[in-house]
Amino acid sequence: MEVNVSRENNEITVQFSGRMDTPGAMDITPQMNALAEEADKTIILDCTDLTYISSSGLRIFVTLRKAADEKGGKIIIRNICNEIRNVFMMTGFLNLFEIQ
Amino acid sequence: MKLNRKENKGFVLSLRSRLLLVIVAAFTLVATSIIQYIYSQRGIKHEASLRAEGELNSAENKIMDVVNQTEAAVRNSIWVAQWCLENPDSLKRIPQRVVSENPVVVGSTIALVPGYSQKYPLYAPYAARDMETGIIKMLSLATKEYDYPSMEWFTKPLESGESYWSEPYFDENGGDMLMVTFSMPVKDNNGDVAAILTADISLDWLTEFIGDIKIYPNAFCMVVSRNGQIMVCPVDTLVMKKTVNQFARESSDREALDCVNKAMLSGESGEMLVRYKRKNNHVYFAPVERTGWSLSIVLPEKELYKGVRRIGLLVNVLQILGLAMIIVILRIVTRNQIRYQQLYEQKERIENEIHIAREIQMSMIPKTFPPFPERKDLDLAASVIPAKEVGGDLYDFFIREEKLFFCIGDVSGKGVPASLVMAVTRSLFRAMSAHETSPARIVTSMNNSISETNENNMFVTFFCGVLDLTTGQLRYCNAGHNPPLILTDAIRELSVVPNLPLGIISDMKFVEQDILLQYDDALFLYTDGLSEAENSSHEQFGESRIKTALHGRKSSENHLKNIEHSVSLFVDKAPQSDDLTMLFIHYLGGNPVSTYHLTLHNDIKQIALLPDFVDTIAKRIELDHETASNLNLALEEAITNVIMYAYPEGTDGVVNIDATVDGKNVSVVIADNGIAFDPTAKEEIDITAGIDERPIGGLGIHLVRTIMDNVNYERKEEKNILTITKNYA
Repeated sequence: MEVNVSRENNEITVQFSGRMDTPGAMDITPQMNALAEEADKTIILDCTDLTYISSSGLRIFVTLRKAADEKGGKIIIRNICNEIRNVFMMTGFLNLFEIQ
Repeated sequence: MKLNRKENKGFVLSLRSRLLLVIVAAFTLVATSIIQYIYSQRGIKHEASLRAEGELNSAENKIMDVVNQTEAAVRNSIWVAQWCLENPDSLKRIPQRVVSENPVVVGSTIALVPGYSQKYPLYAPYAARDMETGIIKMLSLATKEYDYPSMEWFTKPLESGESYWSEPYFDENGGDMLMVTFSMPVKDNNGDVAAILTADISLDWLTEFIGDIKIYPNAFCMVVSRNGQIMVCPVDTLVMKKTVNQFARESSDREALDCVNKAMLSGESGEMLVRYKRKNNHVYFAPVERTGWSLSIVLPEKELYKGVRRIGLLVNVLQILGLAMIIVILRIVTRNQIRYQQLYEQKERIENEIHIAREIQMSMIPKTFPPFPERKDLDLAASVIPAKEVGGDLYDFFIREEKLFFCIGDVSGKGVPASLVMAVTRSLFRAMSAHETSPARIVTSMNNSISETNENNMFVTFFCGVLDLTTGQLRYCNAGHNPPLILTDAIRELSVVPNLPLGIISDMKFVEQDILLQYDDALFLYTDGLSEAENSSHEQFGESRIKTALHGRKSSENHLKNIEHSVSLFVDKAPQSDDLTMLFIHYLGGNPVSTYHLTLHNDIKQIALLPDFVDTIAKRIELDHETASNLNLALEEAITNVIMYAYPEGTDGVVNIDATVDGKNVSVVIADNGIAFDPTAKEEIDITAGIDERPIGGLGIHLVRTIMDNVNYERKEEKNILTITKNYA
C-alpha cells in the first residue's frame, strides 16, 4: 500500500496504489488524518492503481468526506476499478461520493 | 498402403503402351536409316558427278591436245602441198614430213583428186609409222584394193571443201589399224580442190589413255563418234561393231538410252541415269570439240553406292540389335514388375480385407465422443490409433444402472488371428457384463470361455472396471494388463493385482479390487502401444513421459489429443509397430468435497496471508476474479472482527480458518478462542443514509452479509464459530 500526495493550487491529489486492506489502511491512517485537516480544499483521491479495498479503507474515505463537509472542502474519487466499484455499490458509497 | 499402390502402378506399362513404345522406336530407327541413306546417297552422287565432270574435262583437254596437234600438222603442210602441186612427185615428201615431225600422227597421205595430174590418174603416197620400230615406211594408197577416192576421209572434204574428221575405221591395205583421219583439202591457184592432205591418228592411244580413267573400280569410259560408232570401250568386241543406237534398241530402258544417244550425238554435255541389263548406270558425258565425238563415263549405280550400302547395312544391323535389346530388357523388367505387382495386390487385398473386418469390429465399440453428453458426472474419451499391421487392441464401455462398465485389452500377436480374438473378447465382455456387476466374475467367465476354445494359445491382457457413478466406488479386476494411472492430486499407478491374462488357464481365480474415486479424480488406461512406442533410436515413450503429458487440467478428449501429440513428436518418423489404445475416464460425480485450512495469529498484519489462501480455493473451483475478490473481502472483514474484538490488545490467540468446497458451495468456518463476540448481533447499517447519518463502523459485517449467502455465528466450547457460506455454482 503506497500513498503519494501532491499539491497544486487549491487542489490536493492523493494517489493510492496496491491493496487497501486492513493493515494497509492502518498504515496510512495518520497520513490521512493529517490530510483531513486540509479538507477545506478539493481533495482528489486517485484510485487508478488501487486494486482492493476493505471496510477499513472505506472508513478513511468516509472520515475525509465528513471532514470536507465540516470545512467546506470537496472530495473527488477518481478511476475506480470494477472490484472497488462493486464494493462501493454494496455499501452505498456510490451515492456518497463524487466519482469521476 | 493405398499410396504405395499408386506409385507401383506408375511403374508398370500397359501392353498397349509397351507395343506403342516398340513401334515408335522401330519407326524412329527406320526413319533415321532412310534419312541417313538418302543424304549419304546424295552426297556420294554429288561427289561422283563432280569427279566425273573433272575427269571428262581433263580427258577432253588431252584429246583436244592430240586433235590440235594433228590439225596443226596438216594445216602447216597445206601451203607446201599447194606449192608442190605442179610437181606430183615432190608431194611424196609432205606426208613423210607430217609423220616424222608429229609423234601423234601414225600415218599421212596426200591424195590427188583423180584426174588432176596428167601423169598419175590416181596418186596417194602414204607415210606410215611402224608402231614397233618407229621407222617411217612409204606406201601408196593408189591401189586397186584400196580405192582411196571412195574413202570417207577423201570424199567428205572434197565435197565440202572444208577440213574433216573421219569416222573411225579400220584402214585395210593402208595403215592396217583402227584409226581416225583428219583431212584437209589442198586447193590450187584457181581455188579448186586438187588434193586431200591427211593425218591419221591411231585409236590405240585413245583406248590406252581412256582406260586409265578409273574413277571407280567398275566404272568405264567410252568414246562415241558422231554417228554413234563406239570408238573406245572396255569391251573390245563392241568397238567398231555396234553403234549406241543398236544398244538402245536392245536395252530394257530404251527411252533413257535414246535420250543419252540424242544428247551425246548432238554434242551436249550432261548426266543421265540409264537402265541397262536391269542395272542402273549413271552416265556422264561431254562432247569433244570439232571431232563430233562424245566422251562418256559410265558408272554402275551399284558401284557408286557400294560404300554407302555397306555402312548403311552395318548401321541397320546395329540399330536392329539395339532395338532387340531394348525389347528384351523391357520385357524382363515389366515381367518382374508385373509379378511383383500381382504379389503386392494380393497382399494388399488380404490386408484390405483384414482392415475391413477390423473396421467392422471397431464400429461395434463406442466411437462417438463425448459418449454421454447429458451426463455432468462423467467425462470420458477413448481412442485407437491402429498400426499398419492389424493388431488386436480393444476398449469398450457402457452405462447400465448408473454404473460405468469399461474395459481395455490387448490380444497377443498381430494379424488376422489377433483381430479375430479381439472381436471374440469384445463380444464376451458385452455378454458377460449384461447381467453381472462384479468385474472379477465378468473376467473369470470371459477367461473360461476364451481358454476353452483357445487352440492357438493366444492370450489377452485385459482390465475391466465398474464405476458406481453415484458413489464413486470403482471395482476393478486386472487380467495381466499394465496398471492404469489414477489422477488425483498426483498422478500414480493404480494398485493392481496382476493376475494372469485371459486365455491361459481356465478356472483361474481373478482377484477383484476396489477404490473410492473422489470428485475430479480420473483414470487413464492404455495399452503397451503407448508406453512402448519407439522412436527411430529405439527409445521407448515410457511411463514417465505419459505422466508428464497428463499434467494440467484438461477435458478427457484434450488429454488424449495432448498425449497423441506428445507421442507423435517423440516417435517422429519411426513406423508405428503396434496399436495404440487409450481410455480416459474423468469422474465428476459424487460430492466434490475439498477442504482448505489456514491458521492466523491475532495480528492484523496476518490479513496479508488471505489473498494466497483465497486464490488457491478460487483456482480449484474456477471462480471468476470478482467473486474471488469478494470472497477475500468477506473473509478479511470477518477475520478482522475477530482480531480486533475477540482478542483484546496484548492477548495471544489464533484464528483457525477451514474452508470446504463441495462443487456448489464454498463454506468457511472461522473459529477462535477469544472472548465471546457475535458480529451478527450488530445492527445492520443503512446504506442509503447520507454522509451525516453515516456511522464510521459497521461496514465490515455489512459487506460479509452482502457477499455471502449465509452467515452463522455460534459460541461452542469456549469458541467463537462463525460459518459463512457462498454458493458459487
